[in-house]
Amino acid sequence: MMDMKTMNMPEKKVDDNVLIEIQDVSKHFKVSEGILKAVNHVNLTIYKGETLGLVGESGCGKSTFGKVLMGIYPATSGKILYHGKKDIEITKKNLFAYSKMAQIIFQDPYSSLDPRMTVGSIIEEGMIIHKMYDKKRRQERVYELLELVGLNREHANRFPHEFSGGQRQRIGIARALAIEPEFIVCDEPISALDVSIQSQIINLLHDLQKKLNLTYLFIAHDLNIVKYISDRIAVMYLGNIVELATSDQLYEKTLHPYSKALLSAVPIPDPDKEASKKRDILGGDVPSPINPPKGCPFASRCPHATEICRQEKPKLEMKQGHLVACHHVKK
Amino acid sequence: MSKILEVKDLHVSFDTYAGEVKAVRGVSFDLHEGEVLAIVGESGCGKSVTAQTIMKLNPMPPARIVNGEIILCDKDIVNATEKEMMAIRGKDVSMIFQDPMTCLNPTMQVGKQLTEAIRNHRKMTKEEAHKEAIRLLELVRIPNPEQRAKQYPHEFSGGMRQRVMIAMALSCAPKLLIADEPTTALDVTIQAQIMELLKEIGKKTNTAIIMITHDLGVVASMADRVVVMYAGKVVESGVARDIFYHPAHPYTKALLKSLPTTEMSRDERLVSIPGTPPDLLNPPVGCPFASRCKYAMKICYEAPPAEFEVGKGHHGSCWLPHPDCPKDQAGGEQ
Ligand SMILES: Nc1ncnc2c1ncn2[C@@H]1O[C@H](COP(=O)(O)OP(=O)(O)OP(=O)(O)O)[C@@H](O)[C@H]1O
Ligand SMILES: Nc1ncnc2c1ncn2[C@@H]1O[C@H](COP(=O)(O)OP(=O)(O)OP(=O)(O)O)[C@@H](O)[C@H]1O
Ligand code: SF4
Ligand SMILES: [Mg+2]
Ligand SMILES: [Mg+2]
Repeated sequence: MMDMKTMNMPEKKVDDNVLIEIQDVSKHFKVSEGILKAVNHVNLTIYKGETLGLVGESGCGKSTFGKVLMGIYPATSGKILYHGKKDIEITKKNLFAYSKMAQIIFQDPYSSLDPRMTVGSIIEEGMIIHKMYDKKRRQERVYELLELVGLNREHANRFPHEFSGGQRQRIGIARALAIEPEFIVCDEPISALDVSIQSQIINLLHDLQKKLNLTYLFIAHDLNIVKYISDRIAVMYLGNIVELATSDQLYEKTLHPYSKALLSAVPIPDPDKEASKKRDILGGDVPSPINPPKGCPFASRCPHATEICRQEKPKLEMKQGHLVACHHVKK
Repeated sequence: MSKILEVKDLHVSFDTYAGEVKAVRGVSFDLHEGEVLAIVGESGCGKSVTAQTIMKLNPMPPARIVNGEIILCDKDIVNATEKEMMAIRGKDVSMIFQDPMTCLNPTMQVGKQLTEAIRNHRKMTKEEAHKEAIRLLELVRIPNPEQRAKQYPHEFSGGMRQRVMIAMALSCAPKLLIADEPTTALDVTIQAQIMELLKEIGKKTNTAIIMITHDLGVVASMADRVVVMYAGKVVESGVARDIFYHPAHPYTKALLKSLPTTEMSRDERLVSIPGTPPDLLNPPVGCPFASRCKYAMKICYEAPPAEFEVGKGHHGSCWLPHPDCPKDQAGGEQ
């Protein structure tokens, strides 16, 4: 966990505490209609032991960013420096070494496990690839991991289809933990699960973080969960980070007009609060990431947009203790 | 307010080669004009099957209505023929789905689809129907409806397609609109637009709405009344405030408690419900929630709990507070 001092300074570099430096990273895809700018000039620091939440509308580039961070997609431009057990730049050449330190838990617990492999061999696979331990110790580790995630050793010989969604998600977590990573990208790890199972998984991720001093990038739709689990939250819109603050700061004093709309749009499971809530319902639709607008990406839906917003892209700057990209937020 | 729909003791099964899947096992509720009823519950508990049975949209076989009555606008439709149902669908009841492409034709202009749907049920000339189509597109807040009507569904964004589908569903002024997870695939800002729209339409046209969702936030924002389902049964029903503030059934209580609130600190643990729902091929004889219920008593495993009245218009099915609960068992683990 980070101490309060570092949390109040979302972007200041605290050398020893920095795990990942993301420097001006973009990811563009060539599609038939042109260039799709899924992730656009992102600058971000991830600290050791923290949970960084990443939220934003569907299609805004969250998963793409997570995959770039994992090295699954090479960045189109920019640099990612990793300061873990080893100091490396995340490039194709270093991917194997990196995959020993970083793992991803996928959104869909159904399609992300190979149906022909037993649960035991799914969990063991990473250890074999990284030549970790001898066969006997690996077997023991599989049992330990199953128990760690709340399953039991008898499950090792069974196949994924014999498990419920929540149990499969636990298998995915055990697989990610097997190689003893320091950093885990959780890409909507609970969206596909029932409400009653979601909290099991969140509690588990939380306990594991404490026990193993893990760092998480936690991508999610459910803002209540993100608020609960994250130390800091980054809000993304159309491939750009538009606001970054500690999760308490973000909820107490939301600055960016899009973050405001996003937070006010989340329905609260409480009828009285819902009835009395003031809403900023956004009109319009998200612009296409192919040929995105040249000014502020949010200008077409923003209630405060003026001429400068349509002409000039606002920079992500420190204002009122948050990093925020908006022309109309005061210093 | 007159009653639009009454579902009584509905049982629906699927005959599969593994055996009879008892998807809906005795569901009852009713619905009045202009009312919004939310059906909530875990994945697989029978929400969609219940809704599809009201429209008789599930293919029979394998689906089969084993028992029960569905009285829609004073008429029992359980034995209605497909021809009769075709007249009822659209006119009395319409449905919107999670995936709008299931009811939009990808090769036909949006305006044309709407015009056809209107003319299928209402006597109108082409021009009148076209005007009505534009009015509906305006109602669901599609900008530049005249131009948009000439476009095809793939030229619309996800949220706009959803709105077009709502326009289609409204084209025949149904008395009942069933929305099965209409916003699950959308993100929150678009979801908020759609919910606002549905609320407004319900008020304006007095259409009754059944809203199926597992998002309790959506329920709190829209529903007048709530039906909570678990493993094919209704475990609790009542007005939204009663369900949220005075839940009676242990499943409802656990569900509400498992939600994190924005006030929670990171050091508090979330409440979770251990275990998984029962298999509907072999549903348990007693209370379906017993194996996961922290209050479960011996009788819970032996006999299904009967419904009891928690308060006015608020019902639950649980042995714990039930007057017939054996006295030596009740409250043992509270
Ligand atoms: N391999 C790819 N080729 C082309 N375009 C892609 C590819 N992967 C993603 N995209 C596009 O990049 C954009 C960002 O997609 P991404 O999956 O990162 O969004 P997301 O924020 O994770 O959305 P969601 O919340 O729906 O998961 C989208 O417009 C998507 O269509
Ligand atoms: N065609 C079918 N054949 C066999 N079983 C079916 C069929 N359709 C549905 N079922 C079963 O009926 C039960 C109820 O399904 P239903 O689709 O109503 O669930 P639901 O409550 O809508 O869940 P979700 O929230 O996941 O949409 C499930 O256990 C499902 O497996
Ligand atoms: S820069 Fe302008 S358009 Fe963008 S969010 Fe701020 S006010 Fe709105
Ligand atoms: Mg994604
Ligand atoms: Mg369903």
